[in-house]
Amino acid sequence: MKQSPQDKNLDRMLRSGKLTAGGFFGADSRSVDEVIAEDAATLIKLGYRVAQVAARMQELRDLARPALGNWVRVNDTLQVKSEDYKGMIGCPWPHSGQFGKRITAAQRLDTGQSASWSDLNIHLIEEHGFFEGRGAFFRIEPEELIRVIF
Amino acid sequence: MAEVFVSVLIISGIAAALALILVFCESIIQNYGPCKITINGKKELTVEGGKPLLSSLRERKIFLPSACGGRGTCGVCKCKVLSGAGPVLPTETPFLDAKEQKENIRLSCQVKVKNDIAIEIPDALFFIQQYQVTLTAVEDLTYDMKRFRFELTEPAEMEFVAGQYVQITCPSYQQGVEEVDRAYSIASDPKDNHFIDLIVRRVPNGICTVWMFDYLKIGDRVQMTGPYGEFRISNAQTPMIFIAGGSGMAPFVSILHQMKNSGSKRKAEYFFGGNTVRDLCLSEQMAKFEKTLADFKFIPVVSRPAPEDKWNGQTGLVTEAVKRTYTDVSGYEGYLCGSPGMIDASIKVLMELGMAKERIFYDKFA
Repeated sequence: MKQSPQDKNLDRMLRSGKLTAGGFFGADSRSVDEVIAEDAATLIKLGYRVAQVAARMQELRDLARPALGNWVRVNDTLQVKSEDYKGMIGCPWPHSGQFGKRITAAQRLDTGQSASWSDLNIHLIEEHGFFEGRGAFFRIEPEELIRVIF
Repeated sequence: MAEVFVSVLIISGIAAALALILVFCESIIQNYGPCKITINGKKELTVEGGKPLLSSLRERKIFLPSACGGRGTCGVCKCKVLSGAGPVLPTETPFLDAKEQKENIRLSCQVKVKNDIAIEIPDALFFIQQYQVTLTAVEDLTYDMKRFRFELTEPAEMEFVAGQYVQITCPSYQQGVEEVDRAYSIASDPKDNHFIDLIVRRVPNGICTVWMFDYLKIGDRVQMTGPYGEFRISNAQTPMIFIAGGSGMAPFVSILHQMKNSGSKRKAEYFFGGNTVRDLCLSEQMAKFEKTLADFKFIPVVSRPAPEDKWNGQTGLVTEAVKRTYTDVSGYEGYLCGSPGMIDASIKVLMELGMAKERIFYDKFA
């Protein structure tokens, strides 16, 4: 399908290193729509909605924040921590939005599995259903994330 | 067949002619000619019209702070535009609150100089210069923090006040990475003004820190501008509480040098927080300051030391250590540098202990 100029700009922005080293796609050659659609299909298969996933990521981030980078026990099987780094990062989509460089990590105490995400990841998932391209530094595999945070 | 060929030629010819007309029109319409920028009602610059205000000023060696290189993604390059800028653009509104918009604050990277324009900037920005520097040393401070020492080559000296910061230009070091500027607090002795030390913590996949940690080599020449910023200790003789974590250490190293240079007798207690013993750094340098300064104490705080660390210092969050140490800090000034979470928590604790908000000064990572 032919891309609109807006789609082309977005694609260029996501693949460039303007906002993050290596961009939001890594070596993934799929289009933004394909990445979003495939991840959405995975979520449906697992019985979750994008809003639900983003809300849980945010909830865990907020639980972790007061501990200033230390692990916080959420329950018997899950711990989280959130670390702030210097700087802000904007959303690659053409709208307002600046996010602190904060990375939240979640770890299952029963299985040892872990997942981590930035504040921008939460926004990208919540607003755009975008988990990033395969090979991108902050790519989140929906299946792995769900296994850890729920 | 020949008719088709001729038709294609005619259509191509018309398209080419239209393109030429467009280019010609554009050169006339978008030629704004020389424009005058009046700064603070006293300094006038004549610049070529059509360029963003930020880069027009930069070309004339007036450096407004900016972290994104003028792409409108950081919101740092704000200045007051008194006239000649036109309406606020949609690309600016995310960075400007209602009060700022009312006060004609604009993002200088988004405002194009299309006619004469009048602006207001802090006088201190006139003293900011661009420097060519050379990396002369790199020191590991922790597993994710390094101290970089740059020698100033052109100009060879930078006058700065302890607590200020510089912006370093990170070049396009790999495909897809564009040039960006990033701000780092100066961590060196203001007296030793041929050198600038920066303490940098690696940001996972951060454009500039990846470059500094993985690409920048000793002997490399780099560009920086500065000094910027208002973070500094007051001239009062009030005792001070410093609180920092991670690379928030940087301005305090410089401040302690400045106190030593001036023979300051001022009381200062410095709480430096880390999650583990591995996050602590510069303990030896701090011990030297404790010996040379009249009334300085360094208090490292580890939130969760491992048993094998055999840590016998303060434990818990840095804010908890502050709470344990004081019952009333109304007679103190507070100076903070670190993550937004740590700063917010510290402000809360200091105010609970009686410190007035006006006596708390901070440099929040942003």
